[in-house]
Amino acid sequence: MARIGEVTAPVTTQDALVRARTRASLVPDLLVQARRIVGNVIAGWHGRRRRGIGENFWQFRPYVEGEAVARIDWRRSARDEHIYIRDREWEAAHTVWLWADRSPSMLYRSTLSDVSKESRALVLILALAELLSRSGERIAWPGLTDPFAARNGAERLAQHVAHAEPSATHPDLAQVRRFSDVVVASDFLDPPEETMRWLDPLARVGARAHLVEVADPAEESFPYAGRTEFRDPETGEKLTFGRAETLGEDYRQLYLARRETLTGWCKKRGWSYTVNHTDKLASDALIRVHTAMTVEMDGGR
Amino acid sequence: MNFLPLSFGAPMVLWGLIALPVIWWLLRLTPPRPQQETFPPLRILARIARREETPHKSPWWLTLLRLLLAALVILALADPVFNPRERIAVGGRGLALVLDNSWAAAPDWERRVATAARLINDARAQAVPVVLALTAESPAQDVGPFDAETALERLNAAEPRPVPTDRPAIYGRVAQALAEMPGASLALLTDGLAAEGDEEAFQSLFQSELSNVLWVGPGALSAIALSDSANEPERFTVTAVRPEGETGPRQVTAYASDEQGRRIAETAISFGPGEAQATGQMTVPFELRNDFASVAIDGENHAGALRLLDENSRRRRVGLLSQNEADQAQPLLSPLYYIRRALGPYADLVEPSSPDLTEAIPQLLEQHPAAIIMADVGTLPESVRGRLIEWMRGGGTLIRFAGPRLAAAENDEELLPVRLRTGERSLGGTLSWSEPQPVAEFPAGGPFSDLSPPQDVTVSRQVLAEPSADIVERTWANLADGTPLVTSAQRDEGRVILFHTTPEATWSNLPISGTFVEMLRRIVQLSRNQGTVTANADPRGGQLAPYRMISATGTLVPPSPEAEPLSPGRDTPVTLAHPPGFYGSEEGVVAHNLLKPGATLAAIARPAAPVPITEASYAFDSSRPLKGPLMAAALALLALDTLAVLWLGGLLSRRSGRARTAAKATAVLAAVVLFGFMSPDGAMAQIDEPQPTDQEAIEAISATRIAYVVTGVSSVDTVSRAGIMGLSRFLAEKTALEPGEPAPVDISKDELSFYPLIYWPIDAGAPMPSEEAIARIDAYMQQGGTVLFDTRDQYAGGFGASGSVTPETQRLRDILSGLNVPPLEPVPDDHVLTKAFYILPDFPGRYRGSALWVEASTSESRADRPVRTGDGVTPIMITGNDLAGAWAIDGNGDPLLPTVPADPMQRMLALRSGVNIIMYMLTGNYKSDQVHVPVLLERLGQ
Repeated sequence: MARIGEVTAPVTTQDALVRARTRASLVPDLLVQARRIVGNVIAGWHGRRRRGIGENFWQFRPYVEGEAVARIDWRRSARDEHIYIRDREWEAAHTVWLWADRSPSMLYRSTLSDVSKESRALVLILALAELLSRSGERIAWPGLTDPFAARNGAERLAQHVAHAEPSATHPDLAQVRRFSDVVVASDFLDPPEETMRWLDPLARVGARAHLVEVADPAEESFPYAGRTEFRDPETGEKLTFGRAETLGEDYRQLYLARRETLTGWCKKRGWSYTVNHTDKLASDALIRVHTAMTVEMDGGR
Repeated sequence: MNFLPLSFGAPMVLWGLIALPVIWWLLRLTPPRPQQETFPPLRILARIARREETPHKSPWWLTLLRLLLAALVILALADPVFNPRERIAVGGRGLALVLDNSWAAAPDWERRVATAARLINDARAQAVPVVLALTAESPAQDVGPFDAETALERLNAAEPRPVPTDRPAIYGRVAQALAEMPGASLALLTDGLAAEGDEEAFQSLFQSELSNVLWVGPGALSAIALSDSANEPERFTVTAVRPEGETGPRQVTAYASDEQGRRIAETAISFGPGEAQATGQMTVPFELRNDFASVAIDGENHAGALRLLDENSRRRRVGLLSQNEADQAQPLLSPLYYIRRALGPYADLVEPSSPDLTEAIPQLLEQHPAAIIMADVGTLPESVRGRLIEWMRGGGTLIRFAGPRLAAAENDEELLPVRLRTGERSLGGTLSWSEPQPVAEFPAGGPFSDLSPPQDVTVSRQVLAEPSADIVERTWANLADGTPLVTSAQRDEGRVILFHTTPEATWSNLPISGTFVEMLRRIVQLSRNQGTVTANADPRGGQLAPYRMISATGTLVPPSPEAEPLSPGRDTPVTLAHPPGFYGSEEGVVAHNLLKPGATLAAIARPAAPVPITEASYAFDSSRPLKGPLMAAALALLALDTLAVLWLGGLLSRRSGRARTAAKATAVLAAVVLFGFMSPDGAMAQIDEPQPTDQEAIEAISATRIAYVVTGVSSVDTVSRAGIMGLSRFLAEKTALEPGEPAPVDISKDELSFYPLIYWPIDAGAPMPSEEAIARIDAYMQQGGTVLFDTRDQYAGGFGASGSVTPETQRLRDILSGLNVPPLEPVPDDHVLTKAFYILPDFPGRYRGSALWVEASTSESRADRPVRTGDGVTPIMITGNDLAGAWAIDGNGDPLLPTVPADPMQRMLALRSGVNIIMYMLTGNYKSDQVHVPVLLERLGQ
């Protein structure tokens, strides 16, 4: 009987060189994939247009008492009896912190999906990096890079990630400042309290977080049956069950309850919580996360 | 392994069973390997796991299953055999098999054959020749050597014989065969009974060079045989013998059968401890004993247990005695001529060589005849008379015929049954008034009682008996005038019988009639032989053909081809040429029995042999190698184990979706099959009889519904339905009756009795109703229903053209010709129809003018009554006014068809006509009674 889940790349005992090569060879693929997905997203998206501080014309709008006189566009105002103010398009750079969980548990891939969770998380993060870089946002990987703005932001981020040591530890979020967006792609399989604890500083500094839960379908549907030994890829802990199919119902309840808890917690803070199954398209989640970001940016200002 | 009939080909393998505890320990320690799965959300799972007991060991039943599996495999490898048989070492260069197939081998012949077959099979395995000899067969048989196949065929063809063994001869043959086959094994399959010459036979056999001897005998002889039987005057005695080795008390039941095999008497024969012989007595009446044809022992199925009796049907010896045999030139006048002719076929006739009575009678008595017939012998010499009387009193039957000498002789008290008057009586002579007398009906008590008296026999002369008190008892035959013709008297064990006329045709023509033969035969049958004759006394050397033989299993069978005729009187041994049985013919037989009186059943002694003797006993080869079944069981367990592992591993439940689909498919299939079985019945029920279902019946009677006949013409049916609907509405508005939906009825199928009124629009274009449909309508009308025929042709028939008939009317006439139509009349003025609800002068429909025809009222119209009385409701109404057409409404309640002429009042009157008709239908003569209420009240004085 074929196993349902596997660990795609061994992590703990892997030789460093092999790991680096694997990583290096993996990232360009992801980049290409991320670009392709971004292309899909942009094709369906009408740009990010809003007024703000910038160079380009945005709109004329009637002058309201109390506004700075200097902003009046007299050329336009001369054309009729009203006084207009020229609005410019907002061009302020925004910092988005991107982080993908690279812990061993993310290396899991079941037969029900084509990619591992880590792969999907990296693809999503790199795709967001590409998207945000194109629109001129500053992107950063906590603990790895400082916020930077570059046309080739995704490549640079990928480069950094490729050379970084994957670690199971949570990112250092101390650098995150107010008005920043944080995108965290992980499986959030830790107990919700733990997740809330390490994400709580973000709420305190006033950053907005977008949690992307990358879930393998096997984790959710629990298709196991019979005598099964389950192994935790992170701790190596093992559990053996005589008849795994009897556990399914309880497990699914707990699994979804965890997700519900996190979703509710995020909603309370105005954060978004997106679930992406590895057997679904990455672009679905990308659109959702991007939309959530955009809406918040609009609503925030 | 004493407690189980089990042996092992490789018992050392059983030591492997010691390993079972180790296997058990290993199995307990090593649970089935679980499916290993990496599972990141383990911590969530761990929270459930605290509640779930995790089996770290195999389930006990799985361990048990595997242990059983291991044990089965070990057992199977040990090559077990159930019911093992002894392996008989067939050594040397051949096998000599000597099988006793005598009568004593018959009860368990199959086992003997099976034992012999096993030996032959062993010989076949070693490819040695087989000498097969059967000791009860002819010594001329082919004893071989054969190859094993042929020997087996010959063995299967062999069968037990109802004769004793002939060991010396057969063993001699075997010894000859063994001489050519030195060093052979000898297997002696004996029947356990000793026979004469056994010792010499064995020694002749053991002279050959033998490698070993196998002695197979029955463990214990249990055969019980009948050795003797005697029909004593008071009782019938049976003697049974059993093998001498048997010492315990034993009781068997012997029974006697008649010639047809009917069991008529039985007795118990008890062997005391140590007794080899026992007797039983059957105390039954003499007449019943005379019917005994054989005696047998219950439950013994061999030839020795059946003993044939020939006392009853044995040929009697009859001595003939006459005094005037001199004139041989006139044989027809010889007194004994007719007697010889009559008795020749049935009895052995003995005639003395000397005419002198003093010599002739002792000669006869030496032969111990059953009967002696004396033809007209007057006085006997004193010397022989005493011997004759002695013989007669000892059981002989003396038959005497009258004649001139007897008539002249003096009375002899002993040798005549009755006192005779001297001289003979002549009947019908020239000087006599009397006529020759015919024979009267035979008296009921005598031996001739079932013979019918001959009509053409007359007796003209006879000797007369002196009347005495017991003359009637002694008379066996009478003449028509009551004088005795045959008298008889008992003399101790014997009997004397006198024919009162001559044995030749001088005094009467009785001797030349068939009745004479029958009478003599009966008398001879009554007699019994007085002892056996010596061998040399057989005068003719006649041989008796085999008639019924005893088979080896103790039943009577037709003679076998080997059986040869038997010379009676000689002490012929029982051999294949003379097997036991009846010899003779239907008329008389001699029994040739297996055991002579006084015979014993001696057990055969195992002889001493120069080579070792192995002993064995007869047994079926019931050994069964258990290796195959055990291996199969182990395989089955293995399959079970695989299934269990799969189940534990969860494969079955993962496939459960598919399994559920399969289950569904199975269920569907089963349902289809079931339906297939059931549907023919259902279909038959539907075709068979159009019974209304309960639902239909309930619907039909839960409301009053007015029915109309579906003619098959859709326009007519539409109008009918709309008309009934319109009438129903009108009824609901105006009266207390709220009819249900109009009921269309198919008169050939539907149940009609639910409806009070059936409206039948006649349409010439509609098909003619079938005979059955019209019969149903007829029955409906007879049972109280009413049919309203509407020809709707009031104006179609032409004005005033009274002679012409419209097609509708013609059709109505055709229909009515098949109905029992009462006399009809147009509704009279005082008919209750005119007053049932509305007062109506006529009953218009779409047309006006056609009369409404109803059953003619029988009661006279009376001027002082507003309505004529009458019981019942008319079963038929006929109109031509197209009532339904006038009643018909469309969906909005508007009239469907115009009236002719277009007069709203006519439509109203048509509806009122309908109301009256329905009211009349439902209330009957109640309305006609109601109009009389004032008169009735007035009569009551109120």
